[in-house]
Amino acid sequence: MYAERVGGLARAATHLAETLVTQGHDVHFFTRGAIPDQTIKGVSYHYCQPSGKNIVEYCDSMSASMVDQFKRCDTPRRFDFLHFHDWHPVQALHHLQDRNTILTFHSTEYGRFGNQFGDWWEFKEISGKEWYGGLIAKRVTAVSATLKKEVMWLYNVPDEKCDVVPNGVVPREFRAAVDPGEVKRSYGIHPCAPLILFIGRLVYQKGPDLLIEAIRKVCQHRWDAQVVVAGEGGMRQFLEERAKNLPVNFVGYIPDSEYVRLLNAADIIVIPSRNEPFGLVLLEAWSAEKCVVASNVGGLSENIDSFENGIKVDVDPESLAWGINMMIDEPETAGALGKRGRIKVDRLFLWDPIVRGLTDTYARTVA
Amino acid sequence: MPHICIGFEVHQPYRLNRMFSPDSKVKKKDLFDHYFDSLNREILLRVVDKCYDPATKLILEKLDEGFACSFSMSGILIEQLEKWSRDTLSLFEEVARHKNTEMIGQTYYHSIASCFADKTEFREQVTLHSELMHDLFGVRPTIFENTEFTFNNDVAATIRDMGFAGIFTEGVDRILGWRSPNHLYTCRDIPVLLRNTKLSDDIAFRFANRTWDRYPLTADTYAHWIASSSGDIINVFLDYETFGEHFWQETGIFDFLRALPEELSKRDVGMILPSQVVSRYSPVGDIDVRETISWADLEKDTSAWMGNDRQQTAFQAVQSARAYAVNKPLWRYLQTSDHFYYMASKYGTCGEVHIYFSHHEAEDAFQTYMNVIADYESRNIRNMKNRKSAKILRTLSPEQAFHFACPTGFIGHTAYNLDQFEELLCFIPPDSLNYHQERGDFARWITDVLDDPELAERIGGLTERHDLLSVIQERRELLWSHLK
Repeated sequence: MYAERVGGLARAATHLAETLVTQGHDVHFFTRGAIPDQTIKGVSYHYCQPSGKNIVEYCDSMSASMVDQFKRCDTPRRFDFLHFHDWHPVQALHHLQDRNTILTFHSTEYGRFGNQFGDWWEFKEISGKEWYGGLIAKRVTAVSATLKKEVMWLYNVPDEKCDVVPNGVVPREFRAAVDPGEVKRSYGIHPCAPLILFIGRLVYQKGPDLLIEAIRKVCQHRWDAQVVVAGEGGMRQFLEERAKNLPVNFVGYIPDSEYVRLLNAADIIVIPSRNEPFGLVLLEAWSAEKCVVASNVGGLSENIDSFENGIKVDVDPESLAWGINMMIDEPETAGALGKRGRIKVDRLFLWDPIVRGLTDTYARTVA
Repeated sequence: MPHICIGFEVHQPYRLNRMFSPDSKVKKKDLFDHYFDSLNREILLRVVDKCYDPATKLILEKLDEGFACSFSMSGILIEQLEKWSRDTLSLFEEVARHKNTEMIGQTYYHSIASCFADKTEFREQVTLHSELMHDLFGVRPTIFENTEFTFNNDVAATIRDMGFAGIFTEGVDRILGWRSPNHLYTCRDIPVLLRNTKLSDDIAFRFANRTWDRYPLTADTYAHWIASSSGDIINVFLDYETFGEHFWQETGIFDFLRALPEELSKRDVGMILPSQVVSRYSPVGDIDVRETISWADLEKDTSAWMGNDRQQTAFQAVQSARAYAVNKPLWRYLQTSDHFYYMASKYGTCGEVHIYFSHHEAEDAFQTYMNVIADYESRNIRNMKNRKSAKILRTLSPEQAFHFACPTGFIGHTAYNLDQFEELLCFIPPDSLNYHQERGDFARWITDVLDDPELAERIGGLTERHDLLSVIQERRELLWSHLK
């Protein structure tokens, strides 16, 4: 196993491992880190310190160390299943390909670049590893049906080899009883002003520019609307320029606790992504019983039922503004949509049932 | 043609004192009046006047003409009638002893005890209720109806083992699938009578709804719907307060009730009692209920009582208060489902229903509840064997509780006792944890409020979440073992 601190992957892999333990499995977790091996909540963590001139060499070095550590743990017992996450440990997958292997895609290189093919060597190398991993793994999982289709299309993974195992969430990490007025005030926002929250990397894929343009229209409709944009990224300067005369607060990177405060104080959570293989923010917003206005793409499109537990809009500022305006005007409806989102989380996105689905995938590798 | 089986749930809670604040000068014998609101008498007398008296007189009249129905009365309602309206209780006695009625079992305290992990308390409250029914009305219930129809496999099995012949619950679509609620089923080998949600709610919720396309509902139409339904039995189960209290006399609800028996008999719809259903019909299938269902709201689950974090905190507190329950009745009054219902946060029509039934705001309801539980426990510690452990593990009032924060402010999580503190430590964001540990807040709270300097010292220098957790867990388990 492997997890890198990018997006939700590390958290997801840790929850998977811990839940597997509570369901009676023995789990060893191979990752990188400069600390001695340890056991937390029944999961045995094995760390390595790779090195390399570039990301690809770095990951090959990491894979090599992981394989060494794995072999030490593999005797006298013998692991039944080996679960790999994303392209980084594909080299390790290659060395251990005779075993019962599972490879999970959390995203693809193509998707990470906003649904485009790159012509630089890293892009080709990483895509190549994704393809090779998909080829040699005994089974493949993807976090949404959209991503599964993408993987099948890009890398020719056969349909019957690939399962959808969604991400889960621990709702209590995100639902908190804060006073929205107090939080808004700490940002210099009037307690009664409708607060719109964006959280994510400020990159093209996540569509923050669409939000800024939409806010221009929202302001014509509601003078008191306020926006908080949390997150960093290459587009920040450009966005700040565009948002000069708009009520948009760029707060940069914020610690988790501040995120939880903002999430629970906000009236609407906006997810204007252009590509979203899953969209963890959706589950986090739902956990906090918040209404989401999101682009009708990828995992968001699959998981949101429009007007049931959120609002789906087109990937364009006009449509986004329409969704935001409607929800600011009807706070009661927005509240009810958020509440129903939470119900959906409790039914479908808790780790326990998701991991049961995953163990079915494990079983299929030997069937 | 199906038979109709009509039942009423009759209950009033002891609402908590909205103005409660801890006062050490209050004597033990005055505690009840200190914890519970003087409003209770007022509300009871109002309901007696609007519903219990007129409805019961009407039903007595109709019973002689062949009307049949069952009653499920909570013990705490009977206590209140005994105190404040004896004549009404005599009316109920007359009804209970009539051959056309049947008294159904429930928990004496109309409590959420069936949701406790340990079913002992639940069983004791069921027995208390059976005894009350026997002492007062000379009958022992053979059919059971759990608080607001809360039900699952475990409840079914527990009630079966206690010797009941049948149990009521809601005919929830997601449990039944394509099957009809109008038959007898079994669950864990006990016969189950399923409430027909639609035909019950036609009276309970829609009767006076002017926007309903069937408004106004007449007995004639309703009897026709019953007669043209398919199946063996239609179980119609209602809050008794539907008559005169939820729907005032002016809506015509009493006229509806008065005319219903005749309209039913015109169409040859037989009236039947639950115990007769169980003996006359054989079950057509088995239901498997793993989640907990109820008749509440649209969700038909326990979310009305345990849906939000407030409610879960309160539930956890009352469950762990068992160890402190030197005075059991007071503890049991605190288990009444209504206290939790007032803490709900719901939207839409169900939310309006919650507000209608509540005498104060959800957040106030929660604060009052926690204050009362905290006071109750701290008073009882004096009479416990291991006072030191009891003090450390006790539930705290909102002022004493630990409020997690980050440099910018409160992050919305509050621990009301050490158990919850450990639980929340798993969830709070890492930066909040570091913030408190750097300032030594955890150790200070554990020393000053919980009074456990030993634990405070052990967690002092810890920075890793799992180290903190394992130290606290070990300590907590040790302390609880002293109280068992």
